[in-house]
Amino acid sequence: MKQAESILSLRDVEKTFAGHKAVDGVSLDIARGEVVAVIGPSGSGKSTMLRCINLLEVPDSGTISVDGKNLDTSGTVSARDLTQLRRRVGMVFQSFNLFPHMTVLRNISLPQERVLGRSREEADRRSMELLERVGLQQKADAYPAKCSGGQQQRVAIARALALDPEIMLFDEPTSALDPELGLEVLAVMRQLADTGMTMIVVTHEIHFAATVADRLIVMADGRILEQGPPQQVLDDPQHARTRTFLSAIKDR
Amino acid sequence: MKSAIFSDWAEWLPRLLDGLWVSVQVTGLSLIIGLVVGLLLALAAFARTRLLTWPAVLLVEIGRGMPALVMLQLVYFGLPSVGLTLETYAAVVLALSLTTAAYTSEIIRAGLRAVPDGELEAADALGMSRSDVMRFVVIPQGLRIALPTLLGFAILIFQISSLAFSLGLPELLSQAYSIGANTFRYLDVLTLAGLLYLAVTIPAGWLVARFERRLSRHLTT
Repeated sequence: MKQAESILSLRDVEKTFAGHKAVDGVSLDIARGEVVAVIGPSGSGKSTMLRCINLLEVPDSGTISVDGKNLDTSGTVSARDLTQLRRRVGMVFQSFNLFPHMTVLRNISLPQERVLGRSREEADRRSMELLERVGLQQKADAYPAKCSGGQQQRVAIARALALDPEIMLFDEPTSALDPELGLEVLAVMRQLADTGMTMIVVTHEIHFAATVADRLIVMADGRILEQGPPQQVLDDPQHARTRTFLSAIKDR
Repeated sequence: MKSAIFSDWAEWLPRLLDGLWVSVQVTGLSLIIGLVVGLLLALAAFARTRLLTWPAVLLVEIGRGMPALVMLQLVYFGLPSVGLTLETYAAVVLALSLTTAAYTSEIIRAGLRAVPDGELEAADALGMSRSDVMRFVVIPQGLRIALPTLLGFAILIFQISSLAFSLGLPELLSQAYSIGANTFRYLDVLTLAGLLYLAVTIPAGWLVARFERRLSRHLTT
């Protein structure tokens, strides 16, 4: 796991918003099959870093490479490179972002048809497989508004998985959910990690990070403060900043 | 006396109904043309296509800023001076189409903008192309959001079509005036014409309200 080929590399990625450096020179290598949890106070740049990986935010400078294919982001990124990158990287958002005017099944099938060129039948078959995997096959014909938040997030995960990504990004996937509903989403993610999916999870769920992640990254002020095996970082943090943040979470 | 009015109304009704039919036609054609142009303008504005921005903004500002009556007169009396002479009917349709395009483009643009950014990001992250995002995510939802307002505007433009009487188009109000000129019973005939307008606009308003409720059904839990 440690020195396996890296599937994703960030080199000196920087992103500035209105004079504020949200991401300040982040370099990172992620191995195939690795599960990385990213924690840090809000405003630490963890979400922005995640959004830079699939270029929802185009970095001001730095390179991103997926599976050895380099992408220099300082110039303009061509639409083709963008599509290529996004086909390999799936993303799940804090606010689910399902399409409310389509049924659950359509939400999952449409991107397969448009992006991968699958036939409707093929896409629907794959969608049903995935719905079963996230335990929601009975919701196939429901509209998102008829699903709970936890169910919507599981559908969003199925929608991203349907495009057969190599890497899955999770941007605070449970932050908008009641704790109970969060658990069902975390269970699906845990199961996904067991299948060997490469995952980067920005989260405040320390227990999930401790038990599922191979590596825990702590970010502050747009930089990686420290990283390592979760237990080591949680039990023996090296930076005062990390200690403050961790005790704030634990005291809750 | 009362029965006299009704027998007069019965005598006038066929001409007024002819007029109403012309009003409906002109309104319908203007809406079809105006909505297509309005949608294109809204899409251009949404995509921030620079090429189209300048003429589009001009058209929208003129179309919304100028009274429909002035627009009608300018198209009918003004265009011949630049070598384009239109029949009354075509001139009315063109003028009302311009007004419709200007207003509906703003209504549609507001609808497109109301589609949550998160959904656009999700579609982007899924690797969907720009045109697919517009076609499958933004336009269906944006139009649905805009639809009640658009239908309300359609009722308004039907009323505005009465201004075409100033160009002598034989629509409902013109017919009423010409009956009035022959009989000197302006008040009676205008009352009947007014009732005919209401006979269209009030049920149309109900339908719009019902339609609006139906459309939002799948958004409620």
